[in-house]
Amino acid sequence: MKNLLEFLQRFHHWILFVLFEALSFVLLFHYNHYQGSVWFSTANAFVGGIYELNASVESFFTQAQNNERLTTRNFYMERQLSQLRRLYQEATKQPVPKEVEELEKLSQYQLIPAKVVTSELHKQNNLMTINRGRADGVEPGMGVACGQGVVGVTFLCSDHYTVVIPVLNGSSSRISCTIRDRGYFGVLRWYGQESGYAYVEDIPRHARFKRGDWVETNGYSSIFPAGVLVGQIAQVYNSRDGLSYKLKVRLSTDFGTLRDVVVISDKSIAERMRLMQAAKDSLKLNVHE
Amino acid sequence: MTIDLLKRFLLFIVFVLAQALVFGRIHLFHYATPLLYVYFVTMFPRNYPKWAVLTWGFVMGLLVDIFYNTPGVASASLTLIAAVQPYFFSLFVSRDAVESLEPSLLNLGPIKYSYYIVTLVMLYSLLFYTLEMFSFVNFMEWGMCVLGSGMITLLLIFTFEIARSRA
Repeated sequence: MKNLLEFLQRFHHWILFVLFEALSFVLLFHYNHYQGSVWFSTANAFVGGIYELNASVESFFTQAQNNERLTTRNFYMERQLSQLRRLYQEATKQPVPKEVEELEKLSQYQLIPAKVVTSELHKQNNLMTINRGRADGVEPGMGVACGQGVVGVTFLCSDHYTVVIPVLNGSSSRISCTIRDRGYFGVLRWYGQESGYAYVEDIPRHARFKRGDWVETNGYSSIFPAGVLVGQIAQVYNSRDGLSYKLKVRLSTDFGTLRDVVVISDKSIAERMRLMQAAKDSLKLNVHE
Repeated sequence: MTIDLLKRFLLFIVFVLAQALVFGRIHLFHYATPLLYVYFVTMFPRNYPKWAVLTWGFVMGLLVDIFYNTPGVASASLTLIAAVQPYFFSLFVSRDAVESLEPSLLNLGPIKYSYYIVTLVMLYSLLFYTLEMFSFVNFMEWGMCVLGSGMITLLLIFTFEIARSRA
């Protein structure tokens, strides 16, 4: 006993060292599966608060620029809308019923506006934090978009903050999308390096499209509604196995200046997710998410 | 003792906030990110209790991790640096030196201090990026990050040290 105490006394800092290292590695390896990790991430209220303060100071200085961009964007949209409405009327001669239907489809999604409090661009697996959480109706697995296009998917929620996996996350971001007006499906992925470009994989060989075509979400992922902008095709490559195309897409979202986003909360998603979960459970398959 | 603790605590907060809000967001040439908080751990004087150095290091690392969503990466590497620091520093001081000699440019002289700080910072940079990437697939990127971040951190530390020795 005396020996043991003496031993502890002499080596207590090594024991402490081992303890701290063990704790660090537990955090390192269990982060993704560890729900309590809300405390050890930027979803933590205190850390989120500090970041929010900082973001509000920063956004104060970029307000003017943002406003300008939004105004031009708004103008452009407005014009496009009026043009489309005119074309639509000319083409169908019966303007009302379908439009109403479209609007109703959109109103099934509840949009929760949020501000980005911190985001990263330069790592392999970037993350982003927004200032809305469970208390505002945000749940893990919801889509996040902004005025310019798709942003990412919510991942960890605390009461007032949420960590989002943006498109710019090499290991975890997979968003299914389609080429506008052509209908071929692919998966949006990112491999690091350039924050302005991502890749769409698994476009079939027989697909016909051209550079400059727009890519948007296809609404099959049960996270995003169909038609949220992703980007424009910048280059076309063959996939490594030669069985499909791989598209380099210029993302329409500028992640470097991103401040205002919306979380897309679809009431029917929860139901669909539950169904999927039930199906997975009954199949006892280890389908990775 | 209390005053020293208080000072260190304030310094600690300054380092964490500076890292979280300023330095951690700098990515010079895509690779070089200042990891200035290592400086805090290298500043402990001779005969400072080892358990205290470890605790400061671990908590500092943990906070940096929380701010940057890199769970365990900074805390694991900074704890190691904190464990090594007392032993490593004792190599640079003679036995009859002042009891609580602080490692600084002024106290050690430029050559000894450079050896001391370059080794610790590069070791930290190496550990940090190895744990963060956890693979050597992007060997070039890994190497560039280790070198770039190490160098920019050292540049900042030397700037501070020179300013301190002039003051």
